[in-house]
Parts: sequence; C-alpha cells; structure tokens
Amino acid sequence: MKRITPTLFIYLSMAFWTIIYCSIAMVVYLIALVSPKRLSGHIMRYVILYYGQTMIHIAIRPFISVKYEDQAAGDKRPGIYIFNHRSASDPFLMSIFGIEAIQVVNGWPMRLPFFGHFARSCEYIDSTKIDYEAVKEHIASLVSRGVSIMAFPEGTRSDGRVMNKFHSGIFKLAMDTKTLIYPCAIVGNEYLPDRKFRFPKCGKIVIRRLKAIETAEIEKCPTAYALKNRIRNIIQAETEKMDKDDNHENLL
Amino acid sequence: MTREKIIELVNSIFIEQFELEREELTPDKKIFEDLGLDSLDIVDLITGLQRKFKIPLRENEEIRQIETLADIYSLFEKLATENPDIAAKIIN
Repeated sequence: MKRITPTLFIYLSMAFWTIIYCSIAMVVYLIALVSPKRLSGHIMRYVILYYGQTMIHIAIRPFISVKYEDQAAGDKRPGIYIFNHRSASDPFLMSIFGIEAIQVVNGWPMRLPFFGHFARSCEYIDSTKIDYEAVKEHIASLVSRGVSIMAFPEGTRSDGRVMNKFHSGIFKLAMDTKTLIYPCAIVGNEYLPDRKFRFPKCGKIVIRRLKAIETAEIEKCPTAYALKNRIRNIIQAETEKMDKDDNHENLL
Repeated sequence: MTREKIIELVNSIFIEQFELEREELTPDKKIFEDLGLDSLDIVDLITGLQRKFKIPLRENEEIRQIETLADIYSLFEKLATENPDIAAKIIN
C-alpha cells in the first residue's frame, strides 16, 4: 500500500493561506506600488516578511515546526546573515528572524513570474550581476537603513547534510562595506522538500543564529577567501552539533 | 635552486593570505576545484603574487591560463629564465 505523504496537504495549505494573505495585503501592496522607491521597498519587505511568517507559523505548522534559537543575545544590529543551504525551503525560513531583510539570490528567482516581481521590488541582490561597485554601494545603503542581507554562499542547494564550498563574493562585500556577519545554521530541512519538491514526512527545522563576527575581526582576515573559510568552518561545526543533538532522521 | 625558491614564495602566499595548510599545497592541486578559489579570489592571488615577486602581472596572459599550483611555479620559472631582473628579485 502506497504511503501517504504530507506533500499534497502542505501545498494545498500554502496555496490556501497565500490566497488569504494576498487578499488582506492587497491594499498595502497597492500603496507600495504608488509610493516613492525607497518607501516602496521598505513596505514590500514587510509584506514579504509577514507572508513568510504566515507560511511558517500557520500554513505549514501542522506538518513542519520551525524553531529559532538565538545565540547572539538578541543583537538587533543589521548585518550580513550567512547560511548553509540544504533545501528549497531556506528562502521562506528567513522570515523567522522577524527583521527587515533582503536576500542574495542566484539569478533565476528574479525572473520568476510572481516571486520575481516581489524580489525586485524588495531590492534583492542578483548574484549573477557582476557590477561589484554597484552591489557594494547597494549593501552599504541597505545596512545604513537598518536592512540586513541574507546570503547562501554555496550558491545552490547541497545534497542532504553536505555543505558545499562557499563563493567569496559576499565576504568580500562584508569586508569592503565593514558590515558584521552573523553565521547561521539550518538543520532538519534537508528533505523538506526533497530535490523533487516533495515532502516525504513531517518534521522539525531548527535555525540557529550565532554570535556576530565583528568588523574588527573581519578586518584581520587577509582575504575574502580566508574569511569565507573561517565562517564556513563555524557553520559546519554548528550544523554537525545540531544534527547530532536533534537526531534528525535520514529520510532517504 | 630557483624553482625551490619559487615554490616556497608561491606557497607562502597561499599560507599567509588564504590560510591554507602547507600539506595541502601539492603541485597537482587544481586552484579552482581542489583549493576552492573562485574568480574573486584569483584577483587577490594575482595581487599577492605581484607583491611577493615585485613584478606586474595584470597584463600577463599566461597567468589567466593557470589551473594548478604547478602551473604557477612553471610560469615564474619561465619569467625568471627570460628576465634576469626577475630572477634576481626571486633569489633576493
């Protein structure tokens, strides 16, 4: 007998709550459309934030719990958040932090019919665009306005619990803009969903924000490569500890 | 002697600037696949090589063809052979 998985229920729930949320947020969205660019971006980022929170805390909650652990003592300074990247659900999980933020995306999300529009409106960064000085200026501007940057320097989802090598770009930007870095670890979502976007079972995802790497420490790194490896090692050690602590089942 | 000195100088950049372990730096190691450098890191590598060897490299086409550590060693060996000034800088 074929095992029933929660895949259909999760997508139905997400679709249902997306319709509800869009109906409620429509007025705010229309206000954002006619507002000046900076105000529009600010409003849209909160629209996205609350949409993400609706998905995490309501839509998927019966099937997947998302737990946030903060080891940065509630540090509210804007910064660059660096994550390991196991799953397609990672970008949706960013709303767990409850802060105004943008994401660094790998090109294609900016071209999606629905999400791409919001990504562009929120001033997301397209990592495939190579105007370094413009991106550097953009990050400095965002951070000065209290907006944080969420980045997945592996560039693409890894396979299961493996962590791929990091690209150096965001670390060079952190050094050049003198922005602090929050290393963050996400576990439990390696098959939520799997590479075919199915949910084999229900589960628990844990996101842990670690203590900030201050700019003084960042400046001591001789190159962006050295910085990226230090951060990668920190996140690798944390994910290994978290995987052991929670005894995540290997679903495949 | 000169090749040994070149290897020592090149490896010192990877150790000091990129915080790699000496044991990782074997001649067959591919800079991108094995050592994990990307295009941005290559800029830092070229800057480091210029500072260490005190010679300009930005206009050097061969530096853009390097794939392994051995390629870097061979490039500087060739530069030292073709230019006594460069050889003198390496020895000193």
